[in-house]
Amino acid sequence: MKWLKLAIKNVLRNRRRALVTVLITAVGVSAILIGGGFANFTYVSLKEMAARSSGHLIVAHKNYFDKEENTPMEFGLEEYRALAKTLKSDSDVRYAIPRIDFSGLISNGEKSTIFMGSGVDAKYEFKVKGPFLVIESGNVLSKREKEDDPRVMLGTDLAKSLNAKVNDSLTLMSTTVDGGLNAIDVTVQGIFSTGTPEVDKRSIIVNINTAQSLLVTNKVSSIALHLRDTETTFNKYDEFSAQYPELSWETWLDQAFFYTGVKNLYNRIFGLLGLIIAMMVFFSIYNTVNMSVVERTREIGTLRAIGTYASEITRNFILEGLVIGVIGAVTGITIAALTSLGLSLADIQMPPPPGQTNGYPLIIDIPANLYLIAVAMSLFICILAAWLSSYKAAKKPIVGALSHV
Amino acid sequence: MNILETKNLYKQYKQGEISVNALSGINIQIPEKAFTALLGPSGSGKSTLLNIFGLIDQPTQGKLYFCGKDITAASEKELTAIRRHQLGFIFQGFNLVPVMTVFDNVEYPLTLLGLDKKTRYERVNLMLDRVGISQFKKHLPDQISGGQKQRVAIARALITKPKLVIADEPTANLDTKTATGIIDLMYQMHQDFGTSFIIATHDERMSSHCHNSYQLHDGVLQ
Ligand SMILES: Nc1ncnc2c1ncn2[C@@H]1O[C@H](COP(=O)(O)OP(=O)(O)OP(=O)(O)O)[C@@H](O)[C@H]1O
Ligand SMILES: [Mg+2]
Repeated sequence: MKWLKLAIKNVLRNRRRALVTVLITAVGVSAILIGGGFANFTYVSLKEMAARSSGHLIVAHKNYFDKEENTPMEFGLEEYRALAKTLKSDSDVRYAIPRIDFSGLISNGEKSTIFMGSGVDAKYEFKVKGPFLVIESGNVLSKREKEDDPRVMLGTDLAKSLNAKVNDSLTLMSTTVDGGLNAIDVTVQGIFSTGTPEVDKRSIIVNINTAQSLLVTNKVSSIALHLRDTETTFNKYDEFSAQYPELSWETWLDQAFFYTGVKNLYNRIFGLLGLIIAMMVFFSIYNTVNMSVVERTREIGTLRAIGTYASEITRNFILEGLVIGVIGAVTGITIAALTSLGLSLADIQMPPPPGQTNGYPLIIDIPANLYLIAVAMSLFICILAAWLSSYKAAKKPIVGALSHV
Repeated sequence: MNILETKNLYKQYKQGEISVNALSGINIQIPEKAFTALLGPSGSGKSTLLNIFGLIDQPTQGKLYFCGKDITAASEKELTAIRRHQLGFIFQGFNLVPVMTVFDNVEYPLTLLGLDKKTRYERVNLMLDRVGISQFKKHLPDQISGGQKQRVAIARALITKPKLVIADEPTANLDTKTATGIIDLMYQMHQDFGTSFIIATHDERMSSHCHNSYQLHDGVLQ
């Protein structure tokens, strides 16, 4: 207590210098928190998007994920209805949705182009996609589609390239499971956008039945499990892959290339930013303590002469660094929290991330552990800087220090 | 027993090619409960010798004994511990800590000793009374006069009841009247506490109080 009081008094000796250092620390801490909060919000959004598009867990035939199929649906799931039902009975699972991935040619009679198709269960698929699948025109597929009137949904860019509008008629062509060719006529039900042009250029969505009759199969490619809580993903992965070793399991993360890419990029950007800020705070504190040490050389000599250990002198300077660090960190946290609150009220739109067409709201979502990390980091930097700038002076010959003017 | 004893002590300063012998073969004994003056013209080596006595400087050659123990080769840690427990310092420039009040300055050495708050409080108040600056205990050093500052410094030097107090020209920054007061106070403290003092000074009046006084000349005791 005594020492802390002394440290505070010493910090206040040069109020302007202390204020500047506190401000630099505060700005540093708040910048890290705000940057980190922004990155975190982006990660959470992208994670949600990835998980909703692939499902939290994806289960398929043993070879589905690592081997190439020689014929379509070679590694499909046969008894998928029973499996989906069993999986859905698990209390952590919200939906178990079968899905067919297939590809082929789509034609408007004049022009043909390649498509990547998803055969989906219309009852659940559009529920889980939620805001991540924007319907530009028309509607989503109906749960109860007439068997003689199969419908298709097109990505916006694909629709543009085929010059197709809602209710237009198109033809899908694909290789069947025995290697033959099959074609069916479909009617455009709706046009959608995922926000990723690469996807919107090739994607179509049909009902599972439509895909199965095109491919002449009764299998599906995989079942996507949507969990009640994204956080349980990896636990459930361990659980299910132990329970069903004859099947192959993946998590959303295995399929979230965009999420992983953006996260790596942002981690690098914000990591570098954090490093620069850390250096800035370090040198600011180093400089402040160092100037104080030089100014107080004679005082250090006096205190050493009357029996203070060099380590105690250094400890006092570290305390002074900590006083600055703590005040700076608290101020920084306050700034960051207020900024985060202000932004959530201001509703500012961010430009779309690389490879996306839609922007998103600027929200700073600072996770609790980031506060801890930022505070711990700034205190560590303060301690290190104060120690480095004072330990030599504390050990200097006392007589020399005493005659310092 | 002698508190301090030196055997053939040398201190050499090298400045480039030239080396100066600030002390040349000093043999001296400082007994317990002595009031000793170290006299000599400017540059004769008084400060150099006192710094070695105060264990804040090392001799180039010779031996130094503290309470009969050879401490010539003692580590900085051991020397700091001796200074903390057994020595007191009074400086020419007072050397009080400017952010500490008079009370805090005097309390500081007791904090180093790890005494509890109540003991510190009692001892500091007694000491402040004793040196006659109780009414200034909440003041900062900047707010009191030079003579008062030196009284605070004397209180700080004696608060741990050291065996020996080292004072290098304690009155050089004071006017004659104040200086006399400070000399009298140091002598009183010596009488009351039985503390040994060794005082470097130009001030001839100091000699009137002193049991022994040594003359230094060009680094040699006369
Ligand atoms: N750090 C140093 N480097 C070089 N020479 C020094 C140093 N300190 C002292 N000296 C020299 O040692 C000699 C003794 O100096 P010292 O300060 O001990 O004298 P003093 O008796 O205390 O003088 P004063 O009465 O002026 O304080 C002088 O010649 C001085 O120039
Ligand atoms: Mg001198």
